[in-house]
Amino acid sequence: MADADEDAVRGTTVEATQIEVDLSDETQDFRLLNHLNFLTDTSSSSLPRRGEKDFEPNPTEFQADVLSASRQAMHNALAHPRLHNPKNQVIAIYAPEGPPPPPPVPPGQDPGKTSGRGASVSPDACVYVPSPKGQYFKNMGQADRKGVIWLLPEEALYLLERGSLDIRWPTSITGGTVEEGSEEEELSIPMSLQAAYACFIGRGGLTLERFTVFSSLKRIGYAISRAPGWDDSSSVEDSADEDSRNAYTQPVTRGAGLAGILGSIFNWINDPKSTSSTAAGPVIGYGIHRNYSDIYKKLAQIPWHDPTTLPTRNPLSTKPPYRVILHVFKPSTFIKKSALPPPDFRIAVINTREATTIPTLPELSALLESTPLDPPKGEKMDRQMYLRLRHGYRNVILAVVDQGVTSFLRVADVAFGRERLYESVGGSLGPKKAGNFRKKKR
Amino acid sequence: MAEATSVPKPELKAVPGPSPVAVTVSETAEKTRPARTPRPPRPNYRHIHRFPLPVNVHHVPSVIPHNPLSIISVALSYLTFLISPPRQEIYTAYFDSATSSVHVTDEKTIRALWEMGFFGKGSLSRSEPNWLEQEKKRRGLMGGNTVEEATRKRRAERRQLKLERARHEKLAVEERLKAEAAARESGSVDGSPIDAGAEAAAILVERFSVKKAMEAKYHERRQQALQNKNTSESADSSQAANASSDLPSPIVEKHEAVSNSSARHQALDDELDLETLENEEHLQLSTEETFFLVYALGALRVVDRNDNAPISTSSLLSLLRRHSYYPPRPDSSQPEVDDPFMISYVVYHHFRSLGWVVRSGVKFGTDYLLYNRGPVFSHAEFAVIIIPSYSHPYWSETEERKEYAVNKQARSWWWLHCVNRVQAQVKKSLVVCYVEVPPPVPSSADIGGEIGRYRVREFILRRWVPNRTRD
Repeated sequence: MADADEDAVRGTTVEATQIEVDLSDETQDFRLLNHLNFLTDTSSSSLPRRGEKDFEPNPTEFQADVLSASRQAMHNALAHPRLHNPKNQVIAIYAPEGPPPPPPVPPGQDPGKTSGRGASVSPDACVYVPSPKGQYFKNMGQADRKGVIWLLPEEALYLLERGSLDIRWPTSITGGTVEEGSEEEELSIPMSLQAAYACFIGRGGLTLERFTVFSSLKRIGYAISRAPGWDDSSSVEDSADEDSRNAYTQPVTRGAGLAGILGSIFNWINDPKSTSSTAAGPVIGYGIHRNYSDIYKKLAQIPWHDPTTLPTRNPLSTKPPYRVILHVFKPSTFIKKSALPPPDFRIAVINTREATTIPTLPELSALLESTPLDPPKGEKMDRQMYLRLRHGYRNVILAVVDQGVTSFLRVADVAFGRERLYESVGGSLGPKKAGNFRKKKR
Repeated sequence: MAEATSVPKPELKAVPGPSPVAVTVSETAEKTRPARTPRPPRPNYRHIHRFPLPVNVHHVPSVIPHNPLSIISVALSYLTFLISPPRQEIYTAYFDSATSSVHVTDEKTIRALWEMGFFGKGSLSRSEPNWLEQEKKRRGLMGGNTVEEATRKRRAERRQLKLERARHEKLAVEERLKAEAAARESGSVDGSPIDAGAEAAAILVERFSVKKAMEAKYHERRQQALQNKNTSESADSSQAANASSDLPSPIVEKHEAVSNSSARHQALDDELDLETLENEEHLQLSTEETFFLVYALGALRVVDRNDNAPISTSSLLSLLRRHSYYPPRPDSSQPEVDDPFMISYVVYHHFRSLGWVVRSGVKFGTDYLLYNRGPVFSHAEFAVIIIPSYSHPYWSETEERKEYAVNKQARSWWWLHCVNRVQAQVKKSLVVCYVEVPPPVPSSADIGGEIGRYRVREFILRRWVPNRTRD
């Protein structure tokens, strides 16, 4: 009944909001910054509790005081001097020309796969770090054969923005006459944040939207690498569109052979006047029905898409912006820069001001088919149909950036047709046991 | 959550009175919140809704190879069916062209269509056609509460709690203003004592959340229930008096007064027509449900409202296709391959054929809701939105067709985010169902061939919160 749904709404709002409310979405009460001990004491690690929000202004001085205290707390936090130990200072140099061209690769060898230093510096890299140190280069940058680390524009911009990197203008631009050696670093001019944005956004396919997504994920700990589809202009002709059209089930036809003959005999017994007709209806006929499964089988008339039958297509055969451009790894994933593991998430970045409407079927289907098959696995999935359906067979994450506001959507290719609900109905498993209820969180 | 345990879904088995299961549930709930007054036993939904479709099924006795008698019994059952085939009930509904809808007025048919497959909606009820029952209960002819009443009561309670909270907040603000004014008059320079007092009051306000208030309310009610048990029936009236005396705000009081007077009127009316209470409700079938019942199951016959003439399946299809536009297209118009009815019917048929109970999702801003077995058993887990897709090469052959297709399948991101957020809030998974529209062909009489040319493809959409997938 309808009240069931309303119960769901009512009873679960708290839980739902807990799941859905992203702390970063909320306006923070900055007074709690005052209680944070990081300014004075780094040993204690308890987080302050938040109070309730005031939704309306009232004439009390108390509210005004709270507001100004909150504002002051934020100012204090921002005004707190951040110290950079000169020992940890990393200096990088901007190279507008990009890295020197790599030595020619012998034909027949995939340049992306050759391991070893120097072979994998992207031509889009434009900042190099002569003496790399610190943790950031564990999953960022590419080393050339001299041991110099080259950074991609988004990586350089991200590090500069968080104050971990000091980028210098090259002498070729500033025109300074300094002799070679270590003094170059000390005398060269540091690049400002504004200049860095001006230099790096728009370079090598880096748009502001892509950088927004990159930096927001990077900040919360993910490791990110560019996917082959990063370059919009690269594309491959693929006949996969035809394949994808053929991945639909065909309406059932009666099989030949003995089984078919027997089937039609039984059919005749059950429905001697053969009133069953898909052309004029009723599809199941007026005869005697033996069980509901047979009825449902007769009703299966609409072709549906089966995602498991398709081969994975080339990621470059998709149409931008619906193509995977970032590979994202969870912080727990071990990253070896020369041999990246399969990514945990694949992300396509969409600018809503350019792609104003949601993807059409061919766009979305090409995007999903460019990701590897990831069928539901595991004991839990085998048991719970809803979990299986929600997981899907292929999945991709769309980062929809609307004027700087990013919404991430996980899109999964499901096939309801692969789960015959009518076969499980009437079994001893109630819907509750079949995975209807999500685990309660306390 | 306590909420989930104390408001269970209709149980699969009927619970006659407080069963041991119910007791343990209430015990666990007691830790977090007081138990509610015991509910009346639920109907045995498992028995009422044992047939998933309004079609009779006659099981064949099973064949046991080493028992020749079983073969005889199978043969016998076939023979009896050959000699006297059991009648398959065909129900009747009528099509009302003024409202483009299909109505069922026969009591028996209404029950049958609702109980076997959850077809239709009561025109005066929220979902299940139970207006008559509601009305009887309202007039005191029957015991117990209907779901609509329970919801109404819950809403009133919640509203009252909110008003109470608002009043508390207002009081706190006033007190604070007074304290501040007093502090100004006394001209105290150090604000620390005020601050401390203010802090305490603020905390008081913060503590007064709806949840807390609800808990207190339940405590109160339980105690009252206990008292009622001990004392005589007169407690009931005193309780009512209590309730009206401690109403928090004049707004509520006024409202209550109005409803009281209207209730009195109602009571007078009720006395007048107690005898002549008849069902004024009918079952309304959606066009997709109607066509599914007629074409796929053959369990329904649709007649024209004006002349009671039965409508054939093929003319029903073209009728429903014309009426899927507003205003309905004229009789002479040619059906189009992307008539809204065709697209929504294809999706309806697809999910029904897999065993889902498909109902309208209009209250959550979607096209359909998918229930496992039925709405009385569990919440809908999936909400479906339908998007036509013009990916067949035919639709990109000419500029005109291209433009047409682009317009037809365009949906904005904002719309998608909206729908997605609503589904997340009501804990449903959003299914985006694309229907591939085939190129038009001259219309044929083969309905099966026609709907088989559409193809469906489903995607599940969910918000991805990077903070929660980090591990």
